[in-house]
Amino acid sequence: MNALTNYFRGPFYIALYTYREGMRRKLLIGFLVLSLLVIFGSSFIATFLDPSAETDIDLKLIKDICVSAIAIFGVLIAVYISASVVPNEVENKVIYTVLSKPVGRMQYLLGKFMGAQFIIMVNLAIMGGLFFMALYMREGVMPTLLLWSILLTYFEFLIVSSFTFAVSCAATTSLVPILGGLFIYITGNLTEYLKDVEHRAGQTGEWFDAMIGHIATGLHAVLPNLQNFSLKMQIVTGQPNDPPADVLIPNLLLYGFLYGLAGFLCAYIIFWRKEV
Amino acid sequence: MRGQDVHALKDLNIEIHEGEIFGYLGPNGSGKTTTIKMLLGLIFPTNGIIEILGNRSISSAAVKKDIGYLPEGAYYPDFLRGEEILSYYGKLYGLRGADLKRRINETLEMVGMQHARRRLLRGYSKGMRQRIGLAQALISDPRILILDEPTTGLDPIARKEIRDILLRLRAQGKTLFISSHELLEVEMMSDRVGILFNGVLQTIGSMEELLIKREMTVDVDGLTDEVATSLTERGVSIEDRTGARAQLRVGGSLSIFDVIELCKEKALQIHSVTPRRETLEELFVRVVGAAEAARS
Amino acid sequence: MAQHPRLTAFAIMATLVAAGTLLNLHIQHLRESEAYYRWFLAAAVQARMDGQVRENDPDGDLFRESVVALESAGFFDDFLVEYRQDPTEGVLPDPEEQAEEDYRTHRRIWDFARSRHAASQRETFLDLARQQQLRFARDIQYAEAQAGGVNIFNLFFGFRKVAANLLWIEVDRYWHQGNMYRMITLMRTCVALDPEFIEAYLIGAWHLAYNATARMPDTPWPQREWHDGYEACLGEKERFYYYAIDFLKDGIRRNPRNYRLYFELGFAIYKEKLEDYPNAVRYLSEAIRVPHDRWVPRQLFLSYELNGQFEEALAGWQDYIIRFPGSMTAVEVAPRFIMRNQGHIYEQRSHELRKQSYETDDPQQRETLQEQSTAYWERARETWRNLNDPYGEGRLMLMEGLDMRLDGRYLESIALLDKARWETAALWEELSDLIIETKQEAGIPLSVSEKKAVLRESEVGICPGMPPEEQERRLRAIEEIEARF
Repeated sequence: MNALTNYFRGPFYIALYTYREGMRRKLLIGFLVLSLLVIFGSSFIATFLDPSAETDIDLKLIKDICVSAIAIFGVLIAVYISASVVPNEVENKVIYTVLSKPVGRMQYLLGKFMGAQFIIMVNLAIMGGLFFMALYMREGVMPTLLLWSILLTYFEFLIVSSFTFAVSCAATTSLVPILGGLFIYITGNLTEYLKDVEHRAGQTGEWFDAMIGHIATGLHAVLPNLQNFSLKMQIVTGQPNDPPADVLIPNLLLYGFLYGLAGFLCAYIIFWRKEV
Repeated sequence: MRGQDVHALKDLNIEIHEGEIFGYLGPNGSGKTTTIKMLLGLIFPTNGIIEILGNRSISSAAVKKDIGYLPEGAYYPDFLRGEEILSYYGKLYGLRGADLKRRINETLEMVGMQHARRRLLRGYSKGMRQRIGLAQALISDPRILILDEPTTGLDPIARKEIRDILLRLRAQGKTLFISSHELLEVEMMSDRVGILFNGVLQTIGSMEELLIKREMTVDVDGLTDEVATSLTERGVSIEDRTGARAQLRVGGSLSIFDVIELCKEKALQIHSVTPRRETLEELFVRVVGAAEAARS
Repeated sequence: MAQHPRLTAFAIMATLVAAGTLLNLHIQHLRESEAYYRWFLAAAVQARMDGQVRENDPDGDLFRESVVALESAGFFDDFLVEYRQDPTEGVLPDPEEQAEEDYRTHRRIWDFARSRHAASQRETFLDLARQQQLRFARDIQYAEAQAGGVNIFNLFFGFRKVAANLLWIEVDRYWHQGNMYRMITLMRTCVALDPEFIEAYLIGAWHLAYNATARMPDTPWPQREWHDGYEACLGEKERFYYYAIDFLKDGIRRNPRNYRLYFELGFAIYKEKLEDYPNAVRYLSEAIRVPHDRWVPRQLFLSYELNGQFEEALAGWQDYIIRFPGSMTAVEVAPRFIMRNQGHIYEQRSHELRKQSYETDDPQQRETLQEQSTAYWERARETWRNLNDPYGEGRLMLMEGLDMRLDGRYLESIALLDKARWETAALWEELSDLIIETKQEAGIPLSVSEKKAVLRESEVGICPGMPPEEQERRLRAIEEIEARF
């Protein structure tokens, strides 16, 4: 037990430091401010609509726009932070002072990764919290489904950020991993296409065609499918007490966690003997 | 075209004694920083053994606890205070509580930064930053200190202060490994030096061993071209001649007395007679020049 | 292990990816099950509302198969019976209990949908959905993606809802520009992007049925067109009414558990606009089968009353008082409506008994029946008197008029009924009909406007495109009416 706490003490301090440093990034603050503006501004977009229609349409508009804003800016923040925490330290050489301390590479990566996750979580909490308050003030009831939605969003980010982090461990600047992260996010959302490829392939009966189908099937099974998390959009405006959501949510959380961990280990494999 | 493996370092064999200051010299790109990174386990040798304090697993925590490292031109976060940085690095060493506080005080005292401990790094001068860097390397009270270009880019006073700190550390029995191309600095501090060029250790040894050739120089005045020619004919080499003043170098078959006799004879005024050791710079230029010639 | 950290990490990562893959497949299974489950609910609601499952229809066939599998796997004993349970039987459901019960029921269906018992039905469902052969699955997001064609929506990276919202703002703009036809197209795109866009269905249907048609003139019969699906002659207005109905029905298919759609269709369209009370009752009673707001049952009871289902309306109001004692409606509204329906029931019973008395041959029985009839007549009168509001007074006058008509005092009766209809607007139509009836009984010629009203009220219009039988039937009806004039 003592050994375990000792092992995690280093990562904890690194994470704390990463968090303190990361939260000062101007770009990140910019994203955050923009997203808060959108969340605030969404209340005004409803004024474009015909006021004679007395419905909750403005509420739905606000919900959808806010959840999407959180998803978009959140993913930008997640990608930016997880892509830059390690390359930044390489660039300004802080990594030398840290790695020359009695800190293993695993511990170092763990600290950096956890720090990045702290940042993502805090930003998500700020955005989600504001949205939550806005909804609460408007509706007067606790939008509990929103909490699940934000949690799902975080676990989606976890997958994106962990693989971005892995890419960043192979890179020397943060630009490439940022692009890589966005690419991961976009392709992760397009994984569903592979299913389509699978159905379309095999129509000619030629072996090559069939092979493409098999490859698509395999990739579709192995690659993380971020579209699975589209549930986060559905539950915010959807009906409460939806049985499929109850089953899907825990599965998706586990899913995010597994792939997040896999991405982190990928980062470790890359970083293990990396010459810094 | 086929790429060839480029080895940053070849056949490097260095032994550093406990309690000494080892000056590790070499022009830019010669492999000094690579060596240090290897020592710290930041990069890995394709072949060979590194042993620190009798321990071969150099990336183990036990070994790293005994090493303090000051990288070249490292950045320290602007938004932290001096003592916060030390506290962060101290914690990475596993220091906590009163122990950590005591060490922070001691190191700040040692590098003379007590007065600025609560100031944000944003307001630090370059010398202060370097000193806080040194403090972070010292925080765990390591037995070995590895310093990469500790005085580069500092003004003379700051250099002197850093140098004094390093000498004080040696006096405390620490082993210092200083990589530099500031030859004068190294010459002033080091017990032993190694010169690296192009990834190959060209020479290594103590100052006394390496700078063996002792010569005398005589500063004279009233030199004319005619006298100079005759002196040269007699085997005296003339250096640094500016008008009537020049420095005569004693060498070859002539002794110092012969030269003084000659000066008297030619009615030259003698300003000073100085014994002269070869400077590190001269050694460096000589060694590197020879290596370069050998390569081409 | 510590010697080979990379190998260990590799091994762990491979394990994680393997686990992730399994989970991926499991989630895929869950999402397929979810699509199947949602289709099943939509089909079940349709079956419930139709009262039967259609033959020779992929949805119907698959639904029947699924129900058999569902029952044989033991999730339900008799699904159609259990799922059809009428919440208005007995006391109105407690909202919380109903929500819980609703959840339990749907949880059972969902458990079935993702179980191995449904494996073959799920497979069939996905195949049919891919071929776009299912009416109820056509718009379910996952089935869509499976079908491939509309996969383009995935390009929005799950932000299709936002796209739908922005499009809706555009719809709103078209509305202000009065560009109805363009609006309809965009509205359909909106709900294709976001099938759960409830407000789009509601507002869209409202625009279509009310705002769009407000300034439209009635289309003359010869210019209308027969529509096979609706079995009606559609003029411009009517077309929009049916657009609204279809739009809401689309919404119901995609969101079978949202009461607001049923309510809007039942209340705003069928009850208020089309005055089609049987359908209003049908959809409003569906609305209270799913968790709903408190004000929903009231409209159902009102529709019951308008549809002549006084017993149901009475029971409903009584339930309401028991369920929500002390609420404004229970204290101030319900008692009045209870009396109203009571009065109607007495009147109705009296009419029935009188009718029976005319039919029977036994003089003694006739007398008894007439006595009973009179007794009910008196009770009705007393109820209306107790009600003591314009409606009650109108009813009293109506009864008085009927009495006069019975005595052969036709002119007096007509005068009274006419006075009553100006005093009680709610009874206008009923009283007008009575006046026409009385006139016809007395052989008094109808005024031109009355003739027109009769023709308008009866479905006798002929329009192009009608099937010959229908045309024949209507022509005969016209002849009959004209003969009576």
